[in-house]
Amino acid sequence: MFKTALTWVGGVALLLATATDSLAVLCRYLGFPITGSIEMMQAIVLVSGVMALVMSTWDDSHARVHLLLDRMGPRMQALAHRLSDLFTLAFLAALLAGSVWLAGDLWHGYEHSEIVGVPWSVLRMVVNAGLVLAIGLLAVRLVRGSKA
Amino acid sequence: MIYATSATALIGVGLLLVLLLAGVRIGVALGLVGIGGLAVILGPEAAVIKSGVILVDTLTRYELGTLPLFLFMAHIFFSIDASRDLFDAAAKLVGHRRGGLAYASIAGCAGFGTINGSSLATTATVGLVAYPEMRRRGYADTLSTGTIAAGGTLGQMIPPSGALIVFGIIAETSIGDLFTAAIIPGITQALFYALVVFIVVRLRPEAAPAGERAPWRERWQALGRVWEIGLLVAFIIGGISSGLISPSEAAAVGAAGALIIAGMRGKLNRTTLYNAFAETLRTSGLIYMILFGALIFAAFIGVTGLADAAGRAVSDLGMGTIATLVVLALILLLLGSLLDGLALMLLTTPIMLPIAQEVGMSAVWFGIFITRAMEIGFVHPPLGMNLYVMQGVAKDVSIGRIFKGVVPFLCSDFVHLLLIILFPAMVMWLPDLLGN
Repeated sequence: MFKTALTWVGGVALLLATATDSLAVLCRYLGFPITGSIEMMQAIVLVSGVMALVMSTWDDSHARVHLLLDRMGPRMQALAHRLSDLFTLAFLAALLAGSVWLAGDLWHGYEHSEIVGVPWSVLRMVVNAGLVLAIGLLAVRLVRGSKA
Repeated sequence: MIYATSATALIGVGLLLVLLLAGVRIGVALGLVGIGGLAVILGPEAAVIKSGVILVDTLTRYELGTLPLFLFMAHIFFSIDASRDLFDAAAKLVGHRRGGLAYASIAGCAGFGTINGSSLATTATVGLVAYPEMRRRGYADTLSTGTIAAGGTLGQMIPPSGALIVFGIIAETSIGDLFTAAIIPGITQALFYALVVFIVVRLRPEAAPAGERAPWRERWQALGRVWEIGLLVAFIIGGISSGLISPSEAAAVGAAGALIIAGMRGKLNRTTLYNAFAETLRTSGLIYMILFGALIFAAFIGVTGLADAAGRAVSDLGMGTIATLVVLALILLLLGSLLDGLALMLLTTPIMLPIAQEVGMSAVWFGIFITRAMEIGFVHPPLGMNLYVMQGVAKDVSIGRIFKGVVPFLCSDFVHLLLIILFPAMVMWLPDLLGN
């Protein structure tokens, strides 16, 4: 249910991105350019990107090199998968730390985009929430793996 | 900054190879080595903040919209069986000739490459349609599987290409120029494959029997099922090449066009849309993770000065442009035996691009060169991902037979890569002509 909802959020962002840039092209050639469409696209792309990161972590579809992995025995393979999850969690945690640090530093800067005034602090919160969710998913997978 | 040396970078590269071969996710391995390296050189605080900056900057890059929207377009086209229509049209036109279905497969792969940017997806989807038909018509298993596995690599070269979008973001190079530059190499690659089929069929006529000629009424019907896709693709590639629209805008127009075409065919419903959303998000998430890692890794390599040192070292060797590029190609082909496409590109670009620039090549040329080298890795063992995808489609054919079938195409790939080195105008003529 939650996964379906996240997919629709990411999907609606894709549709909005499609509509925004298509309209921007159409209007530009009809002689009345839409100002601020690039800023809108930046915000929409960020939302779809965060959802994409969460969904690919959820489905464990991140790419790996399989040269040795496929030639390992089942126990070694399971160990390699757990180590990979652990490293992924560490990497996402480092990204989250950096992103939260920046968000904290810039919180009182009231950053807004120049033309349509997209509030960057909100977008940073979306990024951080997405990272927390992805880290949570990995943590659950690691705990379940250790119990199995 | 006492550790900001080439030796630190080389230790990082070694560590990265170990992590990749141990099965750590590609983006994660790149990112962790990058953050670790930056922490050693600049300190942990600066490393973590730099990673946060790269993350948010990348996620808000306008050009990043190009990738998910082209993927979205491709997934909508998957849902309306565009690969079947494209192969059918080519098969109706040339399928009656000796080797005609092999030519049609190459054309189908090239056509499908214009609506999706992945070698694996092109091989799988065209393979599912073309392989059973080729077997039914008595084509040799080696020729049929080899043609599709090799033809699938066209998906990576012919615009829009996922690899070129990723390269454009990593190397901070115009994606539009890269797409324009890929047109001639993509077309010549397809022509080379057609030439291979022609030679194989001349030498072994029994490998590809001639078939019945389809009447013109059927040919027009088959063409009628792909005209709107052709028009959309022509608008996208033409629009980017002429500078009328940016690649991001082209991706949006492409996605909108795909939705309209799916709607016109009565195949646009809630399920189709949901599946396209889910697949697009999953694939783009995979690529984003690699991008974040690669950009952090590139920042680490940049701080160590390895790329500049390597560029100077190559320049001091005085090997000349062609010899240097041939050595780079050999290293890429060798590494291509260990690493799959994107890992190869993202690991080597920060180091090799400055070397190529040092000997006078542009970033756009290098992008096409490395993508071409990557494609070769898709069809040669031990990795050869396209071979395994093809085996998934042709379960009755051993991987050894598929490789045997792909060898003549692999030889043509080497010649084609050499031509790109010897005649850079193959890549740069069109973007220069169009003044992009």
